[in-house]
Amino acid sequence: MLRPRHSTMATVGQKQQAKDNIGTLKRLWSFLSPQKGWLIAVVAMVIISSCLSLLGPYVVGRAIDAYIVTKRMDGFFLVVALLLFIYASLSVSTFLQSYWMIRVAQKTIYAIRQQLFRHFHELPISFFDKRQQGELMSRITNDIENMSQTFNSTVIQVISSTLTLVGAICVMLWLSPLLTFVTLLVVPLMYIGMRWITNRTQKRFREQQRCLGEMNGFIEEVISGQKIVKMFAQERRVIDEFLRKNETLKQAGFWAQTYSGFIPKLMNFLNNLSFALIAGVGGILALKGMISIGVIVVFAEYARQFTRPLNDLANQWNTLLSALAGAERVFEIFDMEKEEQDETGAISLDYIQGKVEFDHVVFSYDKKQDAIRDVSFSVSPGETVALVGPTGAGKTTILQLLARFYDPDRGHIFIDGHDSRSIKRASLRAHMAFVLQDTFLFEGTIRDNIRYGKLDASDEEVERAAKWANAHSFIMKLPNGYDTVLKQDGGGISQGQRQLLAIARAMVANPSILILDEATSNIDTVTEMKIQEALERLMKGRTCFVIAHRLNTIQNADRILVLNEGKIIEQGTHESLLEAKGFYYDLYHHHLQKEEVS
Amino acid sequence: MQQVLSYLKPYRKWMIIAWSLMFIELLVELWQPLLMEKIIDNGIMTKNLSVVWTWGAVMLGTSLLAFASGIANSFAAAYVGQEYGFLLRKHLFEKIQSFSFADFERFPTASLITRMTNDVTQIQNMVFMSLRIALRAPLLVLFGVVMSFVVHVQLALVFAVTVPILVAFLLWMMTKATASFSIVQQALDRVNRVMRENLAGMRLIKAWMRGTYEQQRFMKANETLMERTISALRLVETITPVLLFIMNMAIIVILFVGRIDVQLGSATAGQVVAIVNYTTRITSALSMFTFITMAFSRAKASAGRVADVLSVKVDIEDDQQASEKVSGQGEVRFEHVSFRYPNSHALVLKDISFVVHPHETVAILGATGSGKSSLLQLIPRLYDPIDGRVMVDGVDVRQIKQEQLRAFIRFVPQEVLLFSGTIAENIRFGNERASMEEIIQAAKHAQIHDTIMKFPNGYDTVIGQKGVNLSGGQKQRLSIARALVGMPKILLLDDSTSALDLKTEAKLLRALKEYTCTTFIVTQKIQTAMEADTIFLLDDGKLLAKGSHDELLEKSELYRKIVESQFGKKGT
Repeated sequence: MLRPRHSTMATVGQKQQAKDNIGTLKRLWSFLSPQKGWLIAVVAMVIISSCLSLLGPYVVGRAIDAYIVTKRMDGFFLVVALLLFIYASLSVSTFLQSYWMIRVAQKTIYAIRQQLFRHFHELPISFFDKRQQGELMSRITNDIENMSQTFNSTVIQVISSTLTLVGAICVMLWLSPLLTFVTLLVVPLMYIGMRWITNRTQKRFREQQRCLGEMNGFIEEVISGQKIVKMFAQERRVIDEFLRKNETLKQAGFWAQTYSGFIPKLMNFLNNLSFALIAGVGGILALKGMISIGVIVVFAEYARQFTRPLNDLANQWNTLLSALAGAERVFEIFDMEKEEQDETGAISLDYIQGKVEFDHVVFSYDKKQDAIRDVSFSVSPGETVALVGPTGAGKTTILQLLARFYDPDRGHIFIDGHDSRSIKRASLRAHMAFVLQDTFLFEGTIRDNIRYGKLDASDEEVERAAKWANAHSFIMKLPNGYDTVLKQDGGGISQGQRQLLAIARAMVANPSILILDEATSNIDTVTEMKIQEALERLMKGRTCFVIAHRLNTIQNADRILVLNEGKIIEQGTHESLLEAKGFYYDLYHHHLQKEEVS
Repeated sequence: MQQVLSYLKPYRKWMIIAWSLMFIELLVELWQPLLMEKIIDNGIMTKNLSVVWTWGAVMLGTSLLAFASGIANSFAAAYVGQEYGFLLRKHLFEKIQSFSFADFERFPTASLITRMTNDVTQIQNMVFMSLRIALRAPLLVLFGVVMSFVVHVQLALVFAVTVPILVAFLLWMMTKATASFSIVQQALDRVNRVMRENLAGMRLIKAWMRGTYEQQRFMKANETLMERTISALRLVETITPVLLFIMNMAIIVILFVGRIDVQLGSATAGQVVAIVNYTTRITSALSMFTFITMAFSRAKASAGRVADVLSVKVDIEDDQQASEKVSGQGEVRFEHVSFRYPNSHALVLKDISFVVHPHETVAILGATGSGKSSLLQLIPRLYDPIDGRVMVDGVDVRQIKQEQLRAFIRFVPQEVLLFSGTIAENIRFGNERASMEEIIQAAKHAQIHDTIMKFPNGYDTVIGQKGVNLSGGQKQRLSIARALVGMPKILLLDDSTSALDLKTEAKLLRALKEYTCTTFIVTQKIQTAMEADTIFLLDDGKLLAKGSHDELLEKSELYRKIVESQFGKKGT
């Protein structure tokens, strides 16, 4: 029982490979290329600093040969001055390379974020209906963070490691091919050792990651459901299960950590080994007069300069690959099909009367099962239409089509006689206002949230709308009135108050067509009365579509459309439908059954 | 911090072993420049090949010794790290399980989860690291300096100046960096928040055509993030050049002074080479410093957060003498009960008294905030009242062991919480020993059986993230089935039928009558309330009126108002 949701956790731990590295790199380049100039400057600095970091030890070695071993004097100050210059330039170029790279990296990341955000707004609503928000969010956050970090350091490191590696080997070969050969003896050892270790770690790390994912999933679930565990007094059982998972993780973790701990030890050993080889073999060579002491010093220094970059390269390579995979996932979102553009020649309407006509409309979300089938009706301006029917009858779909979140598969929708597809979405929605079930409030002040209905509304307009929506009095009771900042998920104000704000938001927009999806959640009686009053005011003189749950709203509607399984099965006023004794009669009758008994 | 580290005690022996092994490694590494000096001075300079051979062999041999200790250290460190993590998680988890509801409110759920996962991992990594490599850097610097003094005092004096300066510089940078990175984090949170808000509210944003507006908003946040990241990173990136510069200057000084000393005969060439070598080793150790202090300060913050949880004093614990047996009849009695939530001043319940006899059904009605849920939560002792007594079967609930008390009370909370897993597993959560027949029976009574049978795998259908998504009403019914399968003596329904249509709800209420239990139903709907034997009308924490529907119609003005609002005028 309590199967954890390790699916999401496990994938985070594993480094996924990109499918098309070249393609992804090309796209990355398109984001980087505006910074081309800076990027060239960075690469130039990396080349300079790599060369200087190789030159430093070489000059030191030579200086030891020339002045310390032989105790000569002439030209010493020149060498010191040269060293001073090398070291100073090394620091300066090291500083500049990161200073500029950070700028390049962050501007690029900025551009990618910006583009991503813009793209989200161009995606059709079906994209969001299909995906879980949390998954999407964590994907974006992780992947972009990953890219940002890689850009900041990895790029420089990879270039400089490669240069240092090649440079060190060249200088060493030039100084003493034989000693170079001895020094390079550790490289195959390193390769074999690393192979041996990674062969063992990879499998065990995956295992550890799996166990960790499983345990974290378990923790997340139990702690989220802690109140239930408590109410049902199941603590003991949960603890037992947890200990089992914890134990498995411990076992898996032990071996993964032990083996991975070998890597730095191996590198250390090889460092020491090459140092010993250089000292020993170099000493013998020096004795035979084949090399100088200075060369030994240079080699001892270089040997460290190339085991480190070799190790770095191996590490950076993985980071680079996983960042690429992340970039590819972000780009995948860019490739998602955008919401259809408005048709060419689509018109803008300055004014909408509010006449709405559905003409044999058929629509399906998945292209398999029709959500609504052959729906036709006509609504005159100012009329209030209540949509009634069981869940899945197609009420929400009708509203979605009306707002053009989706377009019908067959049939037409006419607004004031124009086919809705020939009207620009922006212009269409500018004349509509929405009060939806989940009254989404943004983090920001109350005033901003109401103003969302009409961005250029003055403070007076906002307050007037709030008064009309019966929201003014509760807003004034909040610590900062209209300037009270709403926390995320609107904490601090009640469900009912949220609805009043949503009504105020619609009120300030002053639409011709109003789309209402009444909330089913429980609201206390006093607030409920306020909401009803506010709604009545809002609906007056506008064409209204209401998915109704309140009896009051249904009774007051000019017309009721009764939907079942995607079709309109009855329509008429409350009274006429009751008389017809059909589907609606059943619904209604049951609703009031108890009352008649009492 | 101390409390968190105290769990290391059982592994003290292994820690000492790990450190000793690391110490051996370090000594070898530091001895090597010294050996090199011997090769140069006693071998090459005096043209003595056997000296070169001997010391070369010693270097090789000690390298192997260091490697062997390194490998052994890995085992010991991994052992301590994993055992410690295990123990820390175990204590944390058990602590959290012992939390009362009031304790829970002190930590947001998400934060508890992070503490148990990320923070523990962070601390565990720190322990593991400090056993393997973290101590290396400071020790390397320290011993490197000491060894240099052993080699040649005058030349080594240069470290006496540079190293303290650099350590001070690094520490100063660390504090500055930590501050500016927390500012970056704030900016990042803001960017993510706008992004999340937009993803969640996309329908509304599209409906209102507010894309451009939102993009402006996002751009502002994104720009701030970029600027702050750039300045924070630039700050940190000055560390390496400064470090390199100072240490390289030290090399120049050593060469300069060394040359004079060699000429005067007070130093040998080998000694100069050795000290130059120590300098480069100290340089690389210092650059590791940055990384280690960062990791350490992160782990310290994590340890603080974990300690916060561990040090909570659980406020509801079983009384020492809490052994009183309860008969399990299901009688509930409140005697002058007043209650307020911890950290709050307002009384939620004020002087409430009533008796509910076994098998009675009570509906609780009232506005939001009138105290309905709070009243329910006192019965299974999820909170303790501040005044008065809550009694079950004539015994004060504080005298009953929590586990025993809750075994015969089943609570269906307002907010449905299901676990991932199959439907059957979820229902079985209410009663571990329930047979499949009992599960089906409970599902039937909860009016969810038919729905379940329509799923492809019936009771084995997996729900949650990877499986079928249930509607609000289906979840509520499943949550009720989970409660019913426990055959409760007291059933508490906290507005648990709000998403059900009236027909289904009526069937469900009828089915509940088959259970011989005392039932409390919190509801907003008059129809639901009318099914009950008694209706409690709560207002502002007070029990305003109780009685049957007809009695309340007569007695209570507020009740009449509520009925009117739901049924229209003719309801009354």
